[in-house]
Amino acid sequence: MATEYTINYHTHNQYEAPVTEALFELLVAPCTDATQRITKLTYYNSLGQELYYHGNPFDFQVACLRSAKHFNEFKFTMRATVEKSQPWLIVDSLPFAEEQAILASRNFYIDHHLYLGFTHYTSILESYHTRLLNRPHKQPVIDYLTQLNQYVYELLEFDPVPTNVHTTASEVFYLGKGVCQDYTHLFLAIARLNRIPCRYVSGYLNQGGSLVGSAVMHAWAEAFIPGHGWFGFDPTNNLLVSIDHIKAAHGVDYSDCSPLRGILKTQGQNYTSYYVDVLTTQMQEQTQQ
Amino acid sequence: MSDVRNYETYQGVFSGYDIKPGFLDEVFNAQGEVLPHYSLVLNQFKKFSLEDFNELNELAKISFFNQGVTFAVYSDKARGVERIFPFDLFPRIISAEDWSHLERGVIQRNVAINLFIQDIYNKKQILRDGIVPAELIFSSGHYAKAMLGINPVGNIYNHISGTDLIKHSDGQYYVLEDNVRCPSGVSYVLSNREAMKKTLFNLFRKHDVLSVQDYPQQLLAIMQSVAPPSDNEPICVVLTPGVYNSAYYEHSFLALTMGIPLVEGRDLFVDQNYVYMKTIYGPQRVDVIYRRIDDFYIDPLAFNADSVLGIPGLMGAYREGNVSLLNAPGTGAADDKAVYSYVPEIIKYYLGEDPILNNVHTYRCELDNDYKYVLEHMEDLVVKPVDESGGYGILVGSNSTREQREELKKAITANRRKYIAQPIMSLSLHSTYIEKENKFEGRHIDLRTYTLLGKDKQFVIKGGLSRVALTKGSLVVNSSQGGGSKDTWVLAQ
Repeated sequence: MATEYTINYHTHNQYEAPVTEALFELLVAPCTDATQRITKLTYYNSLGQELYYHGNPFDFQVACLRSAKHFNEFKFTMRATVEKSQPWLIVDSLPFAEEQAILASRNFYIDHHLYLGFTHYTSILESYHTRLLNRPHKQPVIDYLTQLNQYVYELLEFDPVPTNVHTTASEVFYLGKGVCQDYTHLFLAIARLNRIPCRYVSGYLNQGGSLVGSAVMHAWAEAFIPGHGWFGFDPTNNLLVSIDHIKAAHGVDYSDCSPLRGILKTQGQNYTSYYVDVLTTQMQEQTQQ
Repeated sequence: MSDVRNYETYQGVFSGYDIKPGFLDEVFNAQGEVLPHYSLVLNQFKKFSLEDFNELNELAKISFFNQGVTFAVYSDKARGVERIFPFDLFPRIISAEDWSHLERGVIQRNVAINLFIQDIYNKKQILRDGIVPAELIFSSGHYAKAMLGINPVGNIYNHISGTDLIKHSDGQYYVLEDNVRCPSGVSYVLSNREAMKKTLFNLFRKHDVLSVQDYPQQLLAIMQSVAPPSDNEPICVVLTPGVYNSAYYEHSFLALTMGIPLVEGRDLFVDQNYVYMKTIYGPQRVDVIYRRIDDFYIDPLAFNADSVLGIPGLMGAYREGNVSLLNAPGTGAADDKAVYSYVPEIIKYYLGEDPILNNVHTYRCELDNDYKYVLEHMEDLVVKPVDESGGYGILVGSNSTREQREELKKAITANRRKYIAQPIMSLSLHSTYIEKENKFEGRHIDLRTYTLLGKDKQFVIKGGLSRVALTKGSLVVNSSQGGGSKDTWVLAQ
């Protein structure tokens, strides 16, 4: 069974004073991976500028746009059609000793060091460490992470008020509140403290269900399960990543995935709004050639 | 050491010249006899009366003013005040034999460091093989994830390397430090030679001194050799943070002598993954940037969003292979003073050769045994933070107070990864004119060499910057710490 989604990302920015020069970088398009395929991708921008693209350190395409004409308003739309299939599920864990040997190996660390380190977003005060859900001896990684997913879900209350785009995992833990970005950073931080490589994922949610965070771009985590590979956890919804999660990009933390960045020459305030819609078309499993 | 010294009798500016026992003097041997490659220069100097010499000294200073060779010190209250870099008229002379050894040594070292940088941003084989600890590299503040997946033209990362050497009392050269984050100072090498020629031209008639004046041409050739493929002559520029930078003189000097534009971040922009320079004739594409702006500031979209010095989108253009940067971002992960201690292994690993130049033994505080040793023997060591340059934060144990040591011990304990220590090397002494004393005295010197690596090209400036610690007994030679410099001669034979 596959699902076809049509995704719209729309942003509208208004500036009090004219912008005289601007460069925007957008990381909003769904990516292609084992469970999803992009069949159509179009962009629209109100400045009428030609977009261009470059890769990023994680091999995602960044869409860019430069303008040297004065403007007070900038609208941008990304529209994508994605074919999404159900992600795999982990049936068996490796035997404990084998799993441990992989986690402790030098090559494993070298391959995943970026996702084992602590950045601004993923650091937690040392005094909190013992109060976190840490992995008990001999617990399989997948079981621990499933438990961690639930732990973060239950620990936090979904509340956009107290946090912002700079909030760290430590602050989230202290506040006990946050949005999907905060749930994810806390999950990443705790998993990494337990030496499990874990990365930040940005993307979209199926809006047909009752998932928290579907009205905007969502965030979740992917952890590397020894012997298996990257596996997604959505702590905001206490779910394993499913056919309802359409991935855009991943990185070490939010700073690698922020959807819109811009360097602008202007003075005064700006007002930003954006919305996302995700429409589904059920697709029949292809039985005919 | 023999206490009996057969001093020659020096008059004039050399009267009472004292050769310290236990130190190596570049000009005199332990018996007080002048070394052969210095004899011509010394004979000339001995002929000067004090008045003659003071006059020459003033002439040299004027030459620097006229050339505009100045620098600024960040700690100055009067920010932006220009000073002359103290210059000493007695040249440092390196024999042809010593030089050929040094030249081979610094090329070998910097070629190996280049392979190391390439490796740590790609396969990471040296880390996998356990030669250099992976944690050491990944915990470096200069390791740039923005470099992952980027392959610079010709696989060159450290196009310009400044290798700091000293001559120890055993008569051997040692590498003290590697600098691969766009090292500065080369403009002084050229202007020192200029001042020297204007002041003491006759000396050059008697010696066959190798030229340093080809450096700008060599640097430009290196830049052109790593230009992205294009049908047109590559456009190269020097990117400066601006007039308030302490090395602004050098940025403008290099741009001028290479005959290429000197630009600031605001003069450049990126569109369609190409870098353009704003000119009165419209945008002009730029192929190669010799950037004198730190990694952290070169692209606000990739690094520090608050930077106004850099060029938004530059890393995107670089990643797409449409512009070359000298040096590549992220090279700082290899000139870290803790990584320094692995350079001999790095040379063996990539080149299969023994290092030509010695390393100074280095204690890394992150290792338990070394940490313990450093805390217990701080008086006999030089302690340095791994990530500072310009001589900031260095403690010379023998010249420190108990209080300073206690303070540093706390700082080390709080962040062991940040500090290394080395035995106090007895940097060689060189006769240096001391204005206050009106005579020559021995002062400690080092040598910064400049190595250029391009696509299938290598070059070392013939000589380098001999820096002098002007304070009596001081071992810190950095210009930002009150050091001076000397013209450095490499003899042709």
